[in-house]
Amino acid sequence: MTYPSVYPTGTTVYDPAKCWNGYTIFQAAEEGALLVDMNGTGVNLWKGLHGFPNKLLPGGQVFGHLGVRNPAYGMQDQTDLVQVDWDGNVVWKFDKLEYIEDPGETPQWMARQHHDFQRAGNPVGYYVPGMDPQTGEGNTLILCHKNIKNPKISDKTLLDDTIIEVTWDGDIVWEWTCSDHFDSYGFDEAAKNILARDPNYRPAGGGQGDWMHINTMSLLGPNKWHDAGDERFHPDNIIWDGRETNICAIISKQTGKVVWQIGPNYDTTDQLRKLGWIVGMHHAHMIPRGLPGEGNILIFDNGGWAGYGIPNPGAPKGSKNALRDYSRVIEIDPVTLKIVWQYTPAEAGYMMPYDANRFYSPFISSAQRLPNGNTLITEGSGGRIIEVTAGHELVWEYISPYWGKQLKLNMVYRAYRAPYEWVPQLPRPKETPIAKIDVATFRVPGAAPLAPVKQTAVAGARPYLLDPGVLCVGAADE
Amino acid sequence: MYTIYSATGCTRCKIVMARLRQLGLDFAEHDMKAAGKEAFQRFYAANRRAIFRGPEGVEFPLLTDGQTIRQGLGPALAWLQAGPDALAGFFQVGVLHKEWLDGIDISGGDPARADDFLAVLRHLKQNAMKLEIATDGGNAALLAAAVREGLADRLVMNVRGPAHLYGQLAGRPVDPADIRATIALVAAFPAKQFQTVVAPLRRADGAVAYLAPGEVGQAAALIAEAAGDNHQPYLLRPFRPEAAADETLRRAEPLAAAALLPHRSAARTHQVKTEIEKTG
Repeated sequence: MTYPSVYPTGTTVYDPAKCWNGYTIFQAAEEGALLVDMNGTGVNLWKGLHGFPNKLLPGGQVFGHLGVRNPAYGMQDQTDLVQVDWDGNVVWKFDKLEYIEDPGETPQWMARQHHDFQRAGNPVGYYVPGMDPQTGEGNTLILCHKNIKNPKISDKTLLDDTIIEVTWDGDIVWEWTCSDHFDSYGFDEAAKNILARDPNYRPAGGGQGDWMHINTMSLLGPNKWHDAGDERFHPDNIIWDGRETNICAIISKQTGKVVWQIGPNYDTTDQLRKLGWIVGMHHAHMIPRGLPGEGNILIFDNGGWAGYGIPNPGAPKGSKNALRDYSRVIEIDPVTLKIVWQYTPAEAGYMMPYDANRFYSPFISSAQRLPNGNTLITEGSGGRIIEVTAGHELVWEYISPYWGKQLKLNMVYRAYRAPYEWVPQLPRPKETPIAKIDVATFRVPGAAPLAPVKQTAVAGARPYLLDPGVLCVGAADE
Repeated sequence: MYTIYSATGCTRCKIVMARLRQLGLDFAEHDMKAAGKEAFQRFYAANRRAIFRGPEGVEFPLLTDGQTIRQGLGPALAWLQAGPDALAGFFQVGVLHKEWLDGIDISGGDPARADDFLAVLRHLKQNAMKLEIATDGGNAALLAAAVREGLADRLVMNVRGPAHLYGQLAGRPVDPADIRATIALVAAFPAKQFQTVVAPLRRADGAVAYLAPGEVGQAAALIAEAAGDNHQPYLLRPFRPEAAADETLRRAEPLAAAALLPHRSAARTHQVKTEIEKTG
């Protein structure tokens, strides 16, 4: 994958007339929760506030975490989930899931939160007209970790995913544990075999199998499918996806059972084959009522490497046996499984498959549907946040200038766009258009201009005749 | 003349038969997996009300003299040690297998029979069994004696509830000093478990209501106070109405697992390792 060593950061493209303008919140690597305007001005950095992810709330408040568990003992365990006001005061906190006593560490209660949470009032954690998250009351659904033993899956210690619902006062009133439903996920024998031997074993805490790795969790909210009588899509039901298994599932809030699912395999029906193999996905959620595409499921299909199954040359042991070196954002009808909108390297203007990895984030990432039909996409591994129209035009681009010192990446786990009105502390910012630079002619100081000093005609030279068929490698479906 | 119904390869059956021989008692063996199959089926059909059948089938051995029937290693040895009823309450049919033996309730028997009780435990240990001993706080001195002599391998304490409801939940008075002493003994033991069944009980106004979260919190606090720490393994177990002896309690609506979450929160205030038993 070609990636230049020098490139601009901050906002690089901005068309105010075509954007859904607002503030964007994301975790600036090893800095804190950063809120930027459309031109990339950092209007507030909640210094040191971790974000897995950060989410903005009405009134200029933000969700985050005060700390993370020592990685020697826990993987991605946030110590807590906190709600912080504009000035950095903690106005709500939950940490009382598990009392942790790691060697050499101060014993403490921890939420062990990771990847997601949802506050009542809003099903998905981003702006939806008429569905503001509550800020002074309301329950919160939180995705957390717990360590378990489950010989059905493996004899090794497992890092399991659990979803809890906590009240404003911090009482846990609902709990769901992923491994309890292992039998219902449809793993074939090949998958069960590698899961038993290597359930995505990670070194933290002496070793634990992060077998499912749920990385998103949200409510369906009111939707047309349930209005039509389909109980699978009850508004209280919860959708999640598992990065390691390529599963996206909806569970009944009432029974905990899986009521809708795609994956782990995508070759069992014509519908799934047309959908294509989803690999290592993130941020699968139902587009909420009131937004274009409502009722459809929006997924950042990372590609990369994920899944359990029959070994192949890229996965000699059967672990992470599905591979693809580009990403795609897909919006699917959950009943027909048809793709109704997508943003892939092709829509991004890259030649498929030869240049496809220019749109590629093999981990993290997200997609948010905006009220004007645009989609905010976090191509997370490279710290790139873009806004594209329904017609796939790139109308905003921001490259995070924040590289971590410990993790030398400018990665952005997940960014969210919020309306200006959610930050009453600030006047509406000035919106200055940024035309897309023509990189063919743009030069850094000292570089020579594009045009050659001398052009020489060659007698007998014929016109170039090029199409993909002349390249050294063919497309897989050529 | 005793009759023992056994199963091929049943170590527990061999222990009982060895004890019968040791005591010079005559017996006939019927191996239900061999020639004794039909005899066992006849015996079972005639006595099924007295024979416990668990999820994995009938627990062996079954020992009978034609009138009395004792099932399982502990109850059979107790009978041979002290007669059919003297140790009643101390030993029941268990559910653990291989070298582990449960069904030993140290609070359930007559402390005046401590010598016989300990003799049975010694015999079990001499036969390489690992013993899980249950208690609800009664007979603390007997538990101390068993522990002192190395006769226990795992202790399980059923903390019935908060101190003010303890006797009512236990169905008999339990000396508060015994409860505290037992908690301290169990807490100091290497392999242990505290547990509370979140059960219904008749309240002062006559209504039947489950232990409230606050009351379970008080039970957890009782453990913390007597144990001297808040890190004990503490399990909350859902009540199974169908197993209740009291007709009124049998009619109680079972609590959903999620209904125990507030109890867990309350208990974790005092015992941070509190969990809810998984069922189903």
